[in-house]
Amino acid sequence: MIRALGSIRLALVGMLLLAIGAALSYDNPVDTPVWVLVAPLAFLAVNLLAAIATNPRINRRGGLLVFHLGLLAIIVLAGIGRLTHLDAQLEITEGTAFSPSDLTHMAKGPWHSGALEQLAFVQGSFTVDYSPGMVRGLTHSTVLLPDDRQGWQTKVVGDDRPLILEGYRFYTTFNKGFAPVLTWTPDGGGEALSGTIHMPSYPLFEYKQDSSWTPPNEKGGGKEIKFWLRLKTGLREDAAWVLDGKTATGVLVVNVDDRRVELEPGQSVHVPGGVLRYERLTTWMGYKVFYDPTLHWLFGAAIMAVLGLGTHFWRKSGASLQIAPARVKDAPEVPRASSPDTAAGRSV
Amino acid sequence: MNEATSVLSVMGYATELPWLWAGLTAYVLATLIAVMGMMRIRIGATTVGTMTQASPRAHEKFVLLMVVLGVALLTVAIAERWMRLGHGPFVNLFELLMSQLWSLGLVFAVVYWRVPLLRPSAVVALPMMWVLGGWVLALQPVDTALPPTYHNDWLWAHVGLGKFFLAFCLVGTGLAGVILLRNTQRFAAWFRHVPADAVLDALAWRFMLLAFIFHSLMLTAGAVWAQDAWGRYWAWDALETSSFLNWLMLGASIHARLTYRIPIRVGAIAIIGVFVFAFITYFGTPFYSTAAHKGVI
Ligand code: HEM
Repeated sequence: MIRALGSIRLALVGMLLLAIGAALSYDNPVDTPVWVLVAPLAFLAVNLLAAIATNPRINRRGGLLVFHLGLLAIIVLAGIGRLTHLDAQLEITEGTAFSPSDLTHMAKGPWHSGALEQLAFVQGSFTVDYSPGMVRGLTHSTVLLPDDRQGWQTKVVGDDRPLILEGYRFYTTFNKGFAPVLTWTPDGGGEALSGTIHMPSYPLFEYKQDSSWTPPNEKGGGKEIKFWLRLKTGLREDAAWVLDGKTATGVLVVNVDDRRVELEPGQSVHVPGGVLRYERLTTWMGYKVFYDPTLHWLFGAAIMAVLGLGTHFWRKSGASLQIAPARVKDAPEVPRASSPDTAAGRSV
Repeated sequence: MNEATSVLSVMGYATELPWLWAGLTAYVLATLIAVMGMMRIRIGATTVGTMTQASPRAHEKFVLLMVVLGVALLTVAIAERWMRLGHGPFVNLFELLMSQLWSLGLVFAVVYWRVPLLRPSAVVALPMMWVLGGWVLALQPVDTALPPTYHNDWLWAHVGLGKFFLAFCLVGTGLAGVILLRNTQRFAAWFRHVPADAVLDALAWRFMLLAFIFHSLMLTAGAVWAQDAWGRYWAWDALETSSFLNWLMLGASIHARLTYRIPIRVGAIAIIGVFVFAFITYFGTPFYSTAAHKGVI
């Protein structure tokens, strides 16, 4: 029974089903259920386990055994990874501390039990290099991390150098931009509010640096305020330049009703319901957040598998690829030219 | 700037082009010498006596010499471009084709030198270079910038391992081509001196197993790079899906061959199928995908 379960014929069926599942998963269409992959992988795992247990053609040959065990481990680890993972996005304003509540687009496995609440860092400033033709180069994003002596240490991350905290990986993205810092003081002496407005990603939406906000109103029905940010960043399409929040300046254009007012940092305007003050310009950085505790194990299993197969190949072929036809079973006789130079024994 | 002047300015810059042309010419010569060598064998096989003068393999060292010369010239072409742009040939299709022409030639030359048994397969394998060569000449050698995620050591591992995979696949395909060709009336005489189909079959599949090992390594290195570059190790983008299917196809072929008594010629067709799929994965996928795998945004 187990022997039959471990047959290579079934493995071929499993591989075919997996191929179909992979093809259906291309580009991750929203309506493709994950079962198209999970089912063939589970099927292959059972098949593989049965084969490893019963088939001497695998389990008596060390290299091949290690290879198939490695494949089995990859399937199991990838499954555990999906059950424990976390994927999310984060937009964080320069000068503010990370808070798990800022994560958006979060997806996590049912067994996820990481230490999100313990993560601590403060976003610093960043720069991004651009080559001529607006081709994005390296991102240097500074983050502040608490050190052992109650102080802060700085670290620069970006692109393929993520910030890694407790297994959570924070990758910078092309999604980053400017954020005017605003203070709102309501008429009649209520408590002042301070915050930022994240303008759309820059320079991708260079011509669309607008947003809106509706101030809170105790009586309800506050008036929506529209903002437009006129930036000076040194952007060049034809030459190299560096996007740097520290050197960028921006005029905030405020529209309420039919009124249009331009504010420099430090200036205020009285609008229906209160006073809006444009304090200064700052930036925000967009991160992709990723957590999967199986990453290193997966890599180890893959390397182990390939080493096993390499050993199997080496044993089978010897150090070279020269093979004598005599060793090949079932080689049919074919007429050969009579020149000794071309005799098979010589050419192999 | 109109199109003509922009092309001219591109050509004026592209100092690698003469070297590229020279390298391709060497490959073409290698192919012609290989084909002429096989034709001489065919004539020798029909007119008894002609073969006694020269060994039927006398042409082989010239084939090898021309492939090595081609590789050397392409090395200069790549170095020229590399020094001008400050980065390796990893970004656009022009660069990918050029570097594949180089690595396929290099691996093929080494294998050709070390495994005399497969030398007759040069008449099948080398014309593949013409396809890539013709294609690369049809493209503009426009300058490229290295995307931010390409400043990563795993790029080297991933690209390098992939080159070995494709090259071993090419070697297998050459042998598979010989198996199929020698069983046609037209070409039977060309390969009279070549050992039995079963010998070629065993050798071809051995190279396919080697290709499979390198494909597995390429996928692993690619996953590590993707984790660094895009924050995920796997996401079913066009290249990932295509190369995973290619890996499965090769794995399934290897198993099918071990399980069923697949006729040698059907096996040869499977090898060619794997190679064609790999070819489409490498050079076709960038056409139907504008998605992530370029990492340029
Ligand atoms: C997608 C998953 C798999 C891949 C990529 C894979 C790959 C391989 C490779 C490369 C070999 C070596 C072939 C050779 O020596 O030429 C092999 C051998 C073998 N595999 Fe798998 N394998 C997979 C899954 C399985 C499964 C599920 C089974 C279980 C039935 C299985 C059973 C075997 C056996 C019995 C051999 C030894 C055959 C022999 O040399 O006589 N494989 N496999």
